[in-house]
Parts: sequence; C-alpha cells; structure tokens
Amino acid sequence: MSSLSASSPHKTHEVAVSVRNLGLTYTTAIDKRPTLKARAKALGRGSKQTRVVRALDDVNLDVNYGQVLGVIGTNGAGKSSLMRCIAGILPPSQGRIEVNGSVSTLLALGVGFNPSMSGRDNVYLGGLAAGMTRDEITGHFDEIAEFSELGDAIDAPMRTYSSGMFARLAFSVAATVRPDILIIDEALSTGDAKFKEKSLNRIKELRSDDRALILVSHAMKTLRETCNDVAWLHKGKIVQRGEPNQVIDAYQKFLDLGKSAAIDEDV
Amino acid sequence: MSTPIQVYEPFKAGLPKLGKYWKSLWSRRTFISEFSKSELREQHFDSVFGQLWLVINPLLLSGVYFILIVIIRGGSDSTRYVHLTATLFLFYLISNSLTGGVKSITAGQRLILNTAFPRVMLPISAVIIAIFKFVPTIFVFLIIKVVVGSEFKVEMLWAIPILLITVLLALGLAITISCINVYFRDIASFLPYLTRTLLYLSPVLYEASELDPKLRVLEIVNPLFPILDSWSSALVHGQMPEISNMLQGLAWAVGIFLIGTYFFLSREREFAVRL
Repeated sequence: MSSLSASSPHKTHEVAVSVRNLGLTYTTAIDKRPTLKARAKALGRGSKQTRVVRALDDVNLDVNYGQVLGVIGTNGAGKSSLMRCIAGILPPSQGRIEVNGSVSTLLALGVGFNPSMSGRDNVYLGGLAAGMTRDEITGHFDEIAEFSELGDAIDAPMRTYSSGMFARLAFSVAATVRPDILIIDEALSTGDAKFKEKSLNRIKELRSDDRALILVSHAMKTLRETCNDVAWLHKGKIVQRGEPNQVIDAYQKFLDLGKSAAIDEDV
Repeated sequence: MSTPIQVYEPFKAGLPKLGKYWKSLWSRRTFISEFSKSELREQHFDSVFGQLWLVINPLLLSGVYFILIVIIRGGSDSTRYVHLTATLFLFYLISNSLTGGVKSITAGQRLILNTAFPRVMLPISAVIIAIFKFVPTIFVFLIIKVVVGSEFKVEMLWAIPILLITVLLALGLAITISCINVYFRDIASFLPYLTRTLLYLSPVLYEASELDPKLRVLEIVNPLFPILDSWSSALVHGQMPEISNMLQGLAWAVGIFLIGTYFFLSREREFAVRL
C-alpha cells in the first residue's frame, strides 16, 4: 500500500468499502442519563433499564473507488449507524466490514471536541485523534480556515460559535484533508445558502476516480445531481440500490410525497 | 493518513488485539500532549499568573490544613509542615487525575461519536495534565524544605520510584473512573466526597506511625496509604522507605491499573452507543 500511495493509490472500481451481512443491535439505556441513584432506586422493582434496538439487519454493501454513493431513507432507517460502522466507531454485532483506505468522516455532530477550546485547538485535536500528524494538519490548516470563512473566530472558543459556524468548520476539516473515503452524514443542513453551495461544489470537486464518497442526505435533488449510485435503507435493511433517479423515484413514491418541495430543500 | 485495510468485526466481551491497539495509541501520542497543552492553555496555565496560581494554590491548601492541624493538636512543628506539604502535593496528583479523568469520556462525546481512536487516550491525557500541575509543587516543596532547614539526604532519591508507582496508580484510577462514569453519570458528583474521604484515610494530616493500632486496617485497604507513607519517609525524614510498603503500593497500583484497563478496553467499543 505505502509504495503505491505516492500518486494514485487506488484504482477505479477497486473496492473501497465492503460490508458483508452486517447486523447491528444496540442496547440503549432508557434513562437519558444513567445514574447509580436511578439504578439503586429501580433495584427492587426489577424494571428493565435498557431496550434492544435492531439498527441494521443483514446489510450487504460494496462501495468502489470512483463511486459517489447516496444513502437515503426515513429517520431511524439506520443510515447514521451504517456510517458509524464503516468509520469504525461502532463495532458490528454481526458480519464483517472491510475498509481499504483512509476515511474521513463528517457525521451529524461534526467537529469539536471541547467547546471551551478555540476552533484551532479543536481542529488539531480532532485531526490528531483521527491519526493525522501535526505537520499534516498544519499543512492543511490555512486551507481549512480559509474555506470555513470563519476569519478571526477560528481562535475564539467553540462555545461562542453559531450552529452554522460549527457546520462550516466541520465541513472544511472533512473536505480539505482529501481522504480516500469521505463520509458525509447530513452535515450541511445548518449552513447558509452560500456556504451550502460552496460545500456542494467542493463535494463535486472531490468526486474523482481514486476516491469514494458516501453522502447521507434527505436532499433528493442534490443526490440526483451528485451521486452515481444510491442505496435506500429502510428499517435497517437495504431496500433498493442502483441508478440514482430510479431509486430516488421509488423512494419518493414510497413516501407518497411525489415532487413535494420539502424533499429537495436541504442538504 | 495512509491506512491499510481495516477490518471491523463483531466482538465478544474481551480485549481488542493489544498489539494493534498499542500501535494505534502510540501513533497518536501527539494527541495526548497536544490535548494536555490545550487544556492547560484553556485553564490559563500558560500565562505568568496562571503558573503562579499553580504554586500559590498548593501553598494555600497546605496553609489551611496546617492551621487545622495546629488547632486540633494544640501545636505543631516544622517537620509536620514539611510532611504535610510533601504528602498533600502527591495526594493532589492522584486527586487531580481522578477529577480530570472522571468526565474525560463523557466530555469527549463529540469526538467519540465522530472519530475512531483508542478511547483510553482521554483518561491518559487527564493524568498527564495532573502531572503538569504536580511538577511546580515539587519545587515549592524543595523551597519549603530549605526554608525550614530540613536536611537533604541521598535517601530522598527513593521518591523517584515512589512517584512512578503513584503515576501508575493515578493512571489506573483515572481509566477506571472514566469508564464507570459512562455507565453511572452521577459518579462525578460523588467524587468530591470520595477524594475527601481518601484524604482523611491517608497519612497526610497525620503520620502513619501515629496511627492508632486499632485503625491499622486503613493501611491495608487504602491504596494510597503505603505510597504516601513511603513518600514521607524518603522526602521528609530522609530514610529509605520500608520495602514492604513500596511493594504493597506497587501491588495496588499494578492491580488497579490492570483491572481498570481490562474493564475499559473490553467496554470502550460500546461507549459510542452509551453516550
């Protein structure tokens, strides 16, 4: 791998992500905030503190280099869970995932490790945690700061940021490091129209033969324009996968929304 | 960011592959130092007055406790003050590791939900920060020792292995408590009572030799007891600490570190769904 990584490490159609028979079940705590006190109080009652959620069920998915895969589905379909599994954040309960290349993720929560630290510190910490070196981050930092258009705010504590500023910084980090595989999960919805357009253009720029993109979105128009492949996830299973227009049409028919404006709105 | 093929498969309760885990932890060591630096910067310890506070704070603390000792015992001497500062400063290394470690996982939620990395980095960073805060107090202690005219002996070097044992214990405790706090979020609220109790159970406000024989059980059940006692023997009295004391401290530190780390590593993959 390392000998090849100098120029074009991954050939088009080479498998970037391979998901086989993936199943994911969580046990979620019913209490929002599990405490010893609550546990002790519920002791005699024998009440169940947890609920088992079957988030993904026998999912098979291959993503090749050169592909831009859109993932669609209703809320709770398992889209974010699938992305977290591919990113290695959630361990699968069944099956196997192989990821061939470096992954950069922009999941719903975005960047930001400690809100009282500055945007700059958070970018460094996030990058270092993801396994980048200090020099690599420094090399990208100016580009990140410029793309995010945060100006001096980059050195202000992140708790002073608006949600739009958060989203800008998060997107800039994920999109400037040029990973082999980029996963973006509904992360653009809080930016303003101008930044949204800019991000979309960047995503289109990032489409290349030696990169795989996975976009989770509810913005059907964007997906139709950007993707060359779409997977529709419903209740933890892949219902349909294939040519974007076909899959999205079927999904919209299923939702019985037709060409309602609401589905084209957000990214 | 060249990454070879990553394979994610289900895990049963148990440890991840340790070699791989260590490698990925080691490759992220700059995160640990960068995190500690940013955290200290955020608490303003990079400024002159911030650093001064690192010195003033322990001095004030030791002053307050010294008043307490004088009032309760109706008098005191300089050796007792030297003992108090030496043990109190080391105690705060442990205590700061615990308070920094307890919320390290739950506070790192955003990062944990967005990035795959060895989670144990977070409590380790908390201990590094506690060490940063401990270092200036060593100098404060040495100055106090000079001022009261206490003798410097070569036996004081025994403090080095004792400090290493303490750091291992602090790591074990921080890793354990950060993991427990994921499952029981109110541990963080109990922690001040826990550390306060530990302080009174440890030979800080008194010397181990003064302890009523009936209370000797404290020496056995409190991991800090043998460590603080050895620390005082070496630094305050300039004597070689009892080997049995140091071995007992080492056994506690290794035990807590191994159990806590096992507990943490076998559960850390679940943290993302628990946050």
